[in-house]
Amino acid sequence: MTARSFTMKRQALALLLAAVMQNSLAAPTTTAQDLLAASDAIRNPDRSFGLNNTLIEYRDGKQIDSSTLAIYARADSKTGQFRNLIRFVSPQRDAGKLLLKNGNDLWFFDPSSKASVRISPQQRLLGQAANGDVMTVNLALDYHASLLAEEDVQDGERQKRASYLLNLKAKHGEVTYERIEYWIDRSNSRPIKAKFYSSSDRLLKTAYYRQFKSQLGVERPTETVIIDGLDPKWITVMRTSDLAYRDVPESWLQRDYLPRFNPEQAK
Amino acid sequence: MTAAAPRSPSVTQLGTRLGTGLAMLAALLSPAAAQADDLDALSLADQTPQTEVEQQSWQFFTEGMLGYINRKEGQSDIHPSRISLDLSVDYRFNAQWRGVLANRLDLNRVDLKDGQGSQHEQINTLKEAYLSWQIQPDWLLDAGRINQRNGMAYAYNPSDFFKAGALRSVVSIAPASLRENRLGSAMLRTQYLWEGGSLSALYAPRVGDGIGDGTSNIAQGADSGSFALDLASSNPADRWQLAWSQRWFDGFSPQLILFKEAGSAPRLGLNASWLASDALSLYAEYSGARSRSLAQKARQIGGDERFYSRLSSGATYTFPVNLSLTLEYQYNQAALDKTGWQALGQQGAAYGRYRSLATREQDNPTRHNLFMLASWNNALMRNLDLSLMLRRDLVDHSTLHWLEARYHFKCADLALQWQSQQGSAISQYGAAAERNSVQALIKYYF
Repeated sequence: MTARSFTMKRQALALLLAAVMQNSLAAPTTTAQDLLAASDAIRNPDRSFGLNNTLIEYRDGKQIDSSTLAIYARADSKTGQFRNLIRFVSPQRDAGKLLLKNGNDLWFFDPSSKASVRISPQQRLLGQAANGDVMTVNLALDYHASLLAEEDVQDGERQKRASYLLNLKAKHGEVTYERIEYWIDRSNSRPIKAKFYSSSDRLLKTAYYRQFKSQLGVERPTETVIIDGLDPKWITVMRTSDLAYRDVPESWLQRDYLPRFNPEQAK
Repeated sequence: MTAAAPRSPSVTQLGTRLGTGLAMLAALLSPAAAQADDLDALSLADQTPQTEVEQQSWQFFTEGMLGYINRKEGQSDIHPSRISLDLSVDYRFNAQWRGVLANRLDLNRVDLKDGQGSQHEQINTLKEAYLSWQIQPDWLLDAGRINQRNGMAYAYNPSDFFKAGALRSVVSIAPASLRENRLGSAMLRTQYLWEGGSLSALYAPRVGDGIGDGTSNIAQGADSGSFALDLASSNPADRWQLAWSQRWFDGFSPQLILFKEAGSAPRLGLNASWLASDALSLYAEYSGARSRSLAQKARQIGGDERFYSRLSSGATYTFPVNLSLTLEYQYNQAALDKTGWQALGQQGAAYGRYRSLATREQDNPTRHNLFMLASWNNALMRNLDLSLMLRRDLVDHSTLHWLEARYHFKCADLALQWQSQQGSAISQYGAAAERNSVQALIKYYF
């Protein structure tokens, strides 16, 4: 056991003891899973919605790519997890293509050839992006959260924040990342930072959530800065805009509706 | 709103990064250096300008091609060239009404070797033009020319019942191009959807002097005029179709199709796919019906009908380097087996009619075929896609190879394609006049 992990475990134990003692006076207890769910509620609205997502990619300080996606999401009434319909807006060669994720089903539709093709999670459609990367996800449904530490961490605005550091372990194999280290603001449960790990526990990406703005009544992050785990000069800036409640009927989230989808319908 | 952003590294990229590996490793091992890298990234993000990209209701591109075709011994080589204009519009008038238009114009030119002359033609293909009425969010009605495409196989679609006679201008033998650049059929179509399933029904009437049942090598009444709507080809007979799909459980949503063409027995279609692992997907497409064989149709003779099955089944595996490999086995019971195929090869005119019919119907002329497609995105360098396609006739052992390198610029694609066909003189791929060909293409998106 390393000194760091020992210290972290001690901190976690102390935190839990404090929580138990506090709980004896005031109920209920806030668990790591609750914290994660609260953070999810800041990232994701509570009913079906749509937004625009612009990805600007840099390598060694130079912009090498950009793309824009329109994302429509609706929570599954049974599992609570979001189902996503993603429409490519730019570059122009990809405009109108659709990606649907419904549970474990992933469908890709090309409007020119009218072909709906089942794809596997490994098939990437956004340059080097994994399909799951741009999906709206409630992390609390896919991960077991545990408290690793309380610590001050530098946020995306370069300010020190008192945070809870959570360790997220995947509940099943249908997720993009096996493990996530997730920093949540102690004062308001906002996501601050995350580190994403592979099944071999290799750091894949670091993400900073920042530019919090009021959207649909909640202060939400509108920009995520992603740093590659191996090459820190490989950076993606992901910006969300036009977040709005959208009517996305259940019946649209299936393969047979893809040829018919028109973004103006989801108003 | 999203869990994280893209850009996870691949094995290939790991290789390309080895040049800066040592410095990078040192950086990773140092928390202070990592912190500095994070600050650099945040500074870069600060400087990123705000951009707004609106969703467009149209897409327009032009494509230019220059090629060289090496033909069989005794036939001179030729130099084809082409300019294409392709427009698609999907416009919503209001909450309920929507209009769809897809049109393509190909300006073709063929120059014979050594300046022995040239040929020109222009072919306009009105692929789609229809109005759609959303009666309710889950109930729709469409009317007009619609490209109704069934099937989830890659290269051979036995349940794609509207593909027969739909090709008007073949600009590439890539399966996606054959599906894209074809005539839709004039029809009335309705669809009802529910959670996890849908039911659709359509009726496509006979128009003009088209004939049904595929009994002719060339659709009678087909209009080869440059700007003809060519409804006789797209609507050769009264046809209707019912399609039902239902999600049975996570990852399994089969589709059942019932198709009927005037003068023929009903045809059954079935589509299903499964996700075997996070890198492997499997699919199967089937159709079956009582009919005459392809050879009987080509000879335009009657005879006993029997039940024929067609199947296209395959798998796609994705490797960590973002290389996808698809392997598809194709079975056509109505086509000729080895004995029949060899015998037909000795009958010049009958062989020609049979091949014409199979081409028009987009059906395989022999019983067993294999298709392979390898697609490697961002291969060797960023924005470069490599594709290798192979079609193998398992009956006569002829082969078609197709290789494409495509580089993406911001608004344009530059592609180089090579195609080669090998086999005996009467084989599926060896019979073609073309032996080898090379094409350079540039596609510009407006």
